[in-house]
Amino acid sequence: MLFWILVAVLTAVSAVVLLHPLLRGGTVLSAQRAGEAAVYRDQLQEVERDRASGLISADEAEYARAEIGRRLLAVSARGEDAAKPEGRPWRRRIAEVLVVALVPAIGLSLYLKIGSPDMPDQPLAARLAEPGNDMAILIAKVEAHLAGNPNDGKGWDLLAPIYFRTMRLDDAEAAYRNAIRLLGPSPERLSGLAETLLTDADGIVTEDARLAFEKAVALDGNNPRAKFYLALAMEQAGDRARAKVAFEELAAASPAGAPWLPLVNEHIARNGGTPVAAAEAPKAPGNPSAEDVAAAEAMSGGDRQQMIEGMVESLDARLKDDPNNFEGWTRLIRSYVVLDRREQAEEALRRGLAAFPASGKEGQQLVALGRELGLSGEGAQE
Amino acid sequence: MIIELGHFSLVLALAVAVVLSVIPLYGSRRRDTALMDLAPAGSVLLFLLVAASFAVLTYAHVVSDFSVLNVWQNSHSLVPLIYRLSGVWGNHEGSMLLWLLILVFFSALVAIFGRNLPDTLKVNVLVVQAWITTAFALFILLTSNPFARLSPAPGEGKDLNPVLQDLGLAIHPPLLYLGYVGFSVCFSFAVAALLEGRIDAAWARWVRPWTLAAWTCLTAGIAMGSYWAYYELGWGGWWFWDPVENASFMPWLAGTALLHSALVMEKREALKIWTLLLAILTFSLSLLGTFLVRSGVLTSVHAFATDPSRGVFILAILMIFIGGSLSLFAFRAPSLNAGGLFAPISREGALVLNNLILTVCTATVLIGTLYPLLLETLTGEKISVGAPFFNLTFGLLMIPLLVAVPFGPLLAWKRGDLLGALQRLYVAAGLSLVVALALYYRENGGPVLAILGMAMGLFLVFGAFVDLGGRAGAGKVSASVAWRRLKGLPRSAFGTALAHMGLGITVLGVVAVTTFQSEHVVEMKPGMTTEAGGYVLTFDGMREAKGPNFTEERGHFTVSRGGAAVADVWSSKRVYVAQRMPTTEAGILTFGLSQLYVSLGDHMDDGGIVVRVWWKPYILCIWGGALFMMAGGIVSLSDRRLRVGAPSRRSRPATPAMEPAE
Repeated sequence: MLFWILVAVLTAVSAVVLLHPLLRGGTVLSAQRAGEAAVYRDQLQEVERDRASGLISADEAEYARAEIGRRLLAVSARGEDAAKPEGRPWRRRIAEVLVVALVPAIGLSLYLKIGSPDMPDQPLAARLAEPGNDMAILIAKVEAHLAGNPNDGKGWDLLAPIYFRTMRLDDAEAAYRNAIRLLGPSPERLSGLAETLLTDADGIVTEDARLAFEKAVALDGNNPRAKFYLALAMEQAGDRARAKVAFEELAAASPAGAPWLPLVNEHIARNGGTPVAAAEAPKAPGNPSAEDVAAAEAMSGGDRQQMIEGMVESLDARLKDDPNNFEGWTRLIRSYVVLDRREQAEEALRRGLAAFPASGKEGQQLVALGRELGLSGEGAQE
Repeated sequence: MIIELGHFSLVLALAVAVVLSVIPLYGSRRRDTALMDLAPAGSVLLFLLVAASFAVLTYAHVVSDFSVLNVWQNSHSLVPLIYRLSGVWGNHEGSMLLWLLILVFFSALVAIFGRNLPDTLKVNVLVVQAWITTAFALFILLTSNPFARLSPAPGEGKDLNPVLQDLGLAIHPPLLYLGYVGFSVCFSFAVAALLEGRIDAAWARWVRPWTLAAWTCLTAGIAMGSYWAYYELGWGGWWFWDPVENASFMPWLAGTALLHSALVMEKREALKIWTLLLAILTFSLSLLGTFLVRSGVLTSVHAFATDPSRGVFILAILMIFIGGSLSLFAFRAPSLNAGGLFAPISREGALVLNNLILTVCTATVLIGTLYPLLLETLTGEKISVGAPFFNLTFGLLMIPLLVAVPFGPLLAWKRGDLLGALQRLYVAAGLSLVVALALYYRENGGPVLAILGMAMGLFLVFGAFVDLGGRAGAGKVSASVAWRRLKGLPRSAFGTALAHMGLGITVLGVVAVTTFQSEHVVEMKPGMTTEAGGYVLTFDGMREAKGPNFTEERGHFTVSRGGAAVADVWSSKRVYVAQRMPTTEAGILTFGLSQLYVSLGDHMDDGGIVVRVWWKPYILCIWGGALFMMAGGIVSLSDRRLRVGAPSRRSRPATPAMEPAE
């Protein structure tokens, strides 16, 4: 409310400043040519000064004086017609109306179109003092803390997965490495680091990532994720025989109905083995089918990108028909962020929030996700 | 709320500018003083509104309000206060707001200090200023709004570009803009004169302070930018003929020409139409510079495609203002009466020569800057017009100008005596040759052309003294009389001498650095030594250090001469935390007017590091000369005679006619 009062005051003051000369009725037009004549008179004095100091001869001074004198004469001749001001009341009334109408009209209409009148100021100091559930500030606080105490492993441990999820891969890698250095290796940290490296390398299990997965398996033998990627590394290296064995071992060790089994089976088949029969896992809606994934992996980089985009688009279309799919929305939003199509991610967040209002539990999760990914989620307020 | 008030204040400024663009113009056509009085009052109001909005943006940067997109993109909570302030204009949106602020600042100055101007002229000037204000306020609000918000607000900013985190660059843009935008006043005066269809010698007198002020600021801004590039970029160069540099240099050249032609117009009422054209061209070049730098055309022609709205908008502003003013000029100029006559050898003739060369130089730089862009757009072929082109064309063009400069002030108006001027200058010429030869022997190297170049620089310096001495009557009258007369000379005479002397000093520095500098690129390990300019540098080793928002590796060097240590210097490589961007901080040691410049390169595998060492003899002359030129501008600006009829008329009795009836 105070804001609108101040806006009104500002507008009114501006209008009054502009109205004042109109209401005062104007001054008499000052003698137009006075300034001009003064300039020439000054020039005459200068000629005199130059002559006195011997810079110019008396002859030259005479010429110059004559020339300037002619200019002076011309000014006074013209001066006559200039001094007749005219003022008509109706003209001023129109000007007044224009001022009173135009200033608030342009000001308010444009501001309402481009401004954000409801948004409060958010100085950093105040936000730090009162973080509430402001995720960005919480991260920033941990970051600030770590800048001063770079040896606090717990802080790095906390940040690393958040960085990974928000696709700040370089930061995630550094955070995982710091956490491992300070707190010692653990399967989670090692796998997290390896996954970061692998995501950074567009899905290729690099040597660094493979070593980290191996260490994770060494610490905890029962780590299907690490084992899967190790097998994938063999496959990517062209060692199909060993990859097949590794995938088969993984499938054998997995409980029946484990969600990763179809994917593992796909790889076994690709490497020339017989898929381990397993009950079809209940398929999460919108998940890429095992065929899709296998096809994606067999393709070249450009094709794969195209296919991934195609998959995301089909997911988008499916959600359009059936918006009541919370997991689908989170996947779609993430996918768009990963593809760096932020506008569509924003759009997806808005649509997701339309299906799951922010008041509900799922809606809250969507809002949190948007915040985490740095989406503005303007829809959240609407 | 404060931020939104700032935003609204800017929108309101646009509304006021629209009103000011129309009503006072109509008033001045109809000679209705009430309508005309809207202009000065409104111009001051406009300044206050934009200033408030600029203050709010500054506030947002200082308190790190990351809910403002602009702050988030260009600041960081760890950035020191001074760079938070400079961060306000260290980005596109903020710098455009600064541009606008300076524009309305000049309008307000005209409104307040222009009381001696004829009413209609003043009102028309303010109206043209309001047109420019409207265009740029619209541009800012519609395509580059610094008050765009982010919700939810991020927790940390992306940091100001590290190379901009430097004191030199904190001051450089405001100075440059004061120059760029200052020429808008000259432009407005020209358009106002064309609107009235009348122009005379007094016009030049009124425009002169604005031209001088803008020119002085632009000189300072360019010199500051050049010095910044020299010490911050780590390449040891001070001018690169980079398109962005050229963009600021072209208005300077045209502005210098304007300064001189306005002189002819003021004294002799000649060159009137030409001066008008120059005033229009100078500001057009400022606009072009803004367009080139701001639209992203420069970095790549294709940047247009990524943000078409911005580029197209500025292009539209450019076309409306340049096209409009030139059409008005073409339409009205023939009806203006031309002025006085003069012989080829005269002060006017010398100034015409000055104008001729300066405009050709401007055109050369313009072609060199735009030709590659044009070619790439049309044929897709990429060429680079670099230093060789500019050095050859621009350098050769400047030589006759430099030789002629000392003659100009010695020639009389209307018809001059070249022989007499020559006689008075031969002392200066002789002295220049002797000193240039002495310098040559001291440096013991360099081609013969360098001597001539340095002689030319010195000729300018000594010529300035001869001019002052001649005016004082040195040699003709006794020393005490000459001293008294020297003190009595108008300040503009000192201004001329100082500026011409500054030009000479800059030429001296340029020639000395170009011919006598030495560069050594060596790979060094701790304990090793290298030699430059007679000094021996010993590399002592590297050390880690930490700043508020960066970490750095600093290399320490001990500098000795003849076996005795004379100084030591740090040179460092920084990495800024937020953007992980490396920058170099060159180590610079000053010996007299010369400098030793040490910059660190890459680490080598065997533990050594690449070190570049330059010996830059007399390099400080380049910017020292610019300081002299600025001093010339300021001294000339303070000339009492310029304040004829100004508000404070203490100095002279007011004639009845001069009393403005308010």
